[in-house]
Amino acid sequence: MARPMPRVSHMTNAKLGRAIVGLAAAATLTLALNPASAAEAPADRVLQPDKYTSDKGRALGQKYQGALRDLNAKIYHCMPWLEVKPEGIGFYKPKHLDGDIRYLSLNVNVDQQPAPEFTRLSVQDRVSSMFSRYVPHLLRSMATNDLVRDPNLEGFTVITSWLKAMPGSGQPAVMETSAAFIPKALVANFLRGQATVAQLAEGAHVMAWDGETKLGVMKPRAWADDFVLTYKVAGYTPDPKISCQ
Amino acid sequence: MYGKHWRSVVIGTALLLAAGCASKEEWDIWRSNTSHFQSKEHYDFSMKNRSGAATVTRQDVAMAQSQSWFGKAVTVDQAQILER
Repeated sequence: MARPMPRVSHMTNAKLGRAIVGLAAAATLTLALNPASAAEAPADRVLQPDKYTSDKGRALGQKYQGALRDLNAKIYHCMPWLEVKPEGIGFYKPKHLDGDIRYLSLNVNVDQQPAPEFTRLSVQDRVSSMFSRYVPHLLRSMATNDLVRDPNLEGFTVITSWLKAMPGSGQPAVMETSAAFIPKALVANFLRGQATVAQLAEGAHVMAWDGETKLGVMKPRAWADDFVLTYKVAGYTPDPKISCQ
Repeated sequence: MYGKHWRSVVIGTALLLAAGCASKEEWDIWRSNTSHFQSKEHYDFSMKNRSGAATVTRQDVAMAQSQSWFGKAVTVDQAQILER
């Protein structure tokens, strides 16, 4: 897991472990008897149909409830370092567009330690890196054939947030956020192999935030990045019932 | 001869203390994290994986994410980007 733990010596850990190993057995037993399970993807990550503010949004939410649940489950099990935010999946209207324009949106936190070299990049380059790493791959999971053909859907939104830098002692963690809005026709071309990752970035409307502060529109460059396809959380095997292809 | 012996003992002890103790940076990290384990779940995970390769379940990952190690993060609200 990417979260840092306080650095302490292995010897201290081992001594403490031996001293309270009896307590561990009791704690493990308590946990085993707890009926609450985190093996299922949390249901609150998908916006429920009754929460849309227009008939168009509600109809899409109703029609594709199963597809959105599947998307939530796939990310939960196959990309466990991504955390879908509560109500982070839904047919939302991008705020910068006029009218009842519906995009399938996915809003995730990327659970990663900010490497010093990543922190030293410009915001533009961090946005470009995160776009390259996540947007093309998440679009492949989001844009099913049915959705691409649906005339009521106009595009796709991928929102990624990441820790900007390791917070100092007593300082709050600040997340940077990038939101990429991509028209459906461009996504369809990309999925058919008729547009490159670079062209996907060129045609996307991308905005960024530093914490709660809006940085405005960005023009990311993008390139092929197979991290999502190759990265494995050490020791973790996805639920075999879920297809991670 | 007797003095030399004591000098060796003092220097040896000082070297042992310097080598065996945490550095200032390590103590600072220790002080800024007032408990050895973040939570009972963190402790359980460490105890379960004391030797060999760790086995990570989806529950372990979910718990680590829900523990908010850094506290509440400063981030843009989804409502600033999207409308229902």
